[in-house]
Amino acid sequence: MFRMASQPRHNWQQLAAEYGFHFHTMYGEPYWDESAYYQFTLRQIEQDIEDPSAELHQMCLHVVDKVVNSEALLTQCQIPQPHWDLIASSWREKQPSLYSRLDLVYDGKSPAKLLENNADTPTSLYETGFWQWLWLENLVDAGQIARHADQFNSLQEKLVYRFEQLRQQYNYQRIHFSCCEDSVEDRGTVQYLQDCASAAGIDAPFLFVEDIGLSDTGYFTDLDDNAITHCFKLYPWEFMLREEFGDALEAADVGWLEPPWKSVLSNKALLPLLWQEFPNHPNLLPAFFEQDKHRATGGKWIKKPLFSREGANISLLNDDDSPTTLSDGPYGEEGFILQQYHPLPRYGDQYVLIGSWLVDDLPAGISIREDRSLITQDLSRYLPHIIL
Amino acid sequence: MSHSQKRSKSIHLHQLRKAFALKPLAVGVAGIMLTACGGSREQSNIYVSPEDCQQDNPEATGQCLAAYESALEEHNRTAPKFDTQNDCEYEFGNDRCQYVQTSSGSFFMPFMAGYMVSQLLQPRPYYSQPLYTSFSPYSPFRSRWVTSNGYVFDGDIRRRSYNAPSSVFEKKPTVNRTIKRGGFGSSVRAKSSWGSSGSKSKGWGG
Repeated sequence: MFRMASQPRHNWQQLAAEYGFHFHTMYGEPYWDESAYYQFTLRQIEQDIEDPSAELHQMCLHVVDKVVNSEALLTQCQIPQPHWDLIASSWREKQPSLYSRLDLVYDGKSPAKLLENNADTPTSLYETGFWQWLWLENLVDAGQIARHADQFNSLQEKLVYRFEQLRQQYNYQRIHFSCCEDSVEDRGTVQYLQDCASAAGIDAPFLFVEDIGLSDTGYFTDLDDNAITHCFKLYPWEFMLREEFGDALEAADVGWLEPPWKSVLSNKALLPLLWQEFPNHPNLLPAFFEQDKHRATGGKWIKKPLFSREGANISLLNDDDSPTTLSDGPYGEEGFILQQYHPLPRYGDQYVLIGSWLVDDLPAGISIREDRSLITQDLSRYLPHIIL
Repeated sequence: MSHSQKRSKSIHLHQLRKAFALKPLAVGVAGIMLTACGGSREQSNIYVSPEDCQQDNPEATGQCLAAYESALEEHNRTAPKFDTQNDCEYEFGNDRCQYVQTSSGSFFMPFMAGYMVSQLLQPRPYYSQPLYTSFSPYSPFRSRWVTSNGYVFDGDIRRRSYNAPSSVFEKKPTVNRTIKRGGFGSSVRAKSSWGSSGSKSKGWGG
């Protein structure tokens, strides 16, 4: 695993405009960064990332199965009691999932460690499935990268294939796609998924989450008053369950992507539960609920809220138990977990985090985020990678 | 490239190009392929009237009439509805729409152009669905059969026999009107008051 400096394509911004990649620069800071790329060996990709990702995913599903069958665990995960049935039945009915992203710490040598599972609303999908793929094509065509170079990235192919399965085996003929207003990045991610669904022959209209309506007959509706029967929402379950229309979820009978059972996986309670079920697994970091703090001994620990986004509300507990706040934010009212501190590997002055993607349960590629700070935050940059 | 390639083999760039792309139509014109490996399928026939059906099934005149009536009932419940005659005729063609007044309001909807029946002669219950077609030059449904939930059949309206996927016969949920919007999204408003940036362009994905 190396970080290689690279000459950016002279026309990449023009290409971005052409393909509708509108969030390559955010807050005036670069987000897409092709001034360097990461290089892996096939062995690193297959043995250290791909296989462990498939295994970690299965371990996560095992935890879902435990949680939905235990009132104590549902309580511990802070899942509101009125929605237990919705979540448990979505699991028992095997409601299909689309995708997820495991965040891994990996340095090219030691076993990758799972930091968290973005199983409900993962983003940076377009950059991964399409944009970095195009980057490699262009650089190979220009002779800047060897023709036999490859990339761990079958994301787009697998997404289209998964949508075909959803259409043929689960009768997803039309899926409404939805995200919140005022986010160029989320809208871009959802547009990409609409494109993948359309390629699979699914009718893929869009509406904003805020525009979803409720009909007199209890169904959710789009702006033309059509019933929403299947819906992809880039909006967290933990929010939906607690909002006004949360009470209507049961009767509205929507096939959701992601399905309600994903709310167990996007919850940081997953981390201590994984450690409980698979203690000392090489790809896990020790993790405990805050009330078991006495077991989190020796070294430094990271304290994270059960629900949080983009690395918010994280603090570091030092050897002497004194806390250092690493990031602020609006989260934490539902409680915290502790995870053993495992620093991100450093290349030059950059800390690197690997996102490992799965489509349903198949590993499908990686994304790389770099940051000058230790916690990957909003403003980290996205870098492409190759296998050589 | 060998079979062990780790990246997508080919991506149709034109499908992802956005700058000059026309806006997608509201309902998929791409056509949903009737592939052989899909879920269960029903051999189905399309008729434009009970008489049409009876001619084809002289031994089942009663079933033909009953199937027509149940399609008509489903049509009244689920036909695409429009606020104005113009909007409706834009999609379905001149004089192809009817005005409907109900207790909850008035609207325009297309006439049922035909109905699809399967298993008419089986001892099992038969299925029946209303079908529409368009005479409008602006519509992707022109000269094709389409169901009320937007399923477009391959081929033109002269084709009367299909292996239809079972989903075609699924009942569409009834919606009379939307009573409220904005019941999702409030957490975003609450949480985005926090943050370092004034104009929030960052989403709620992770």
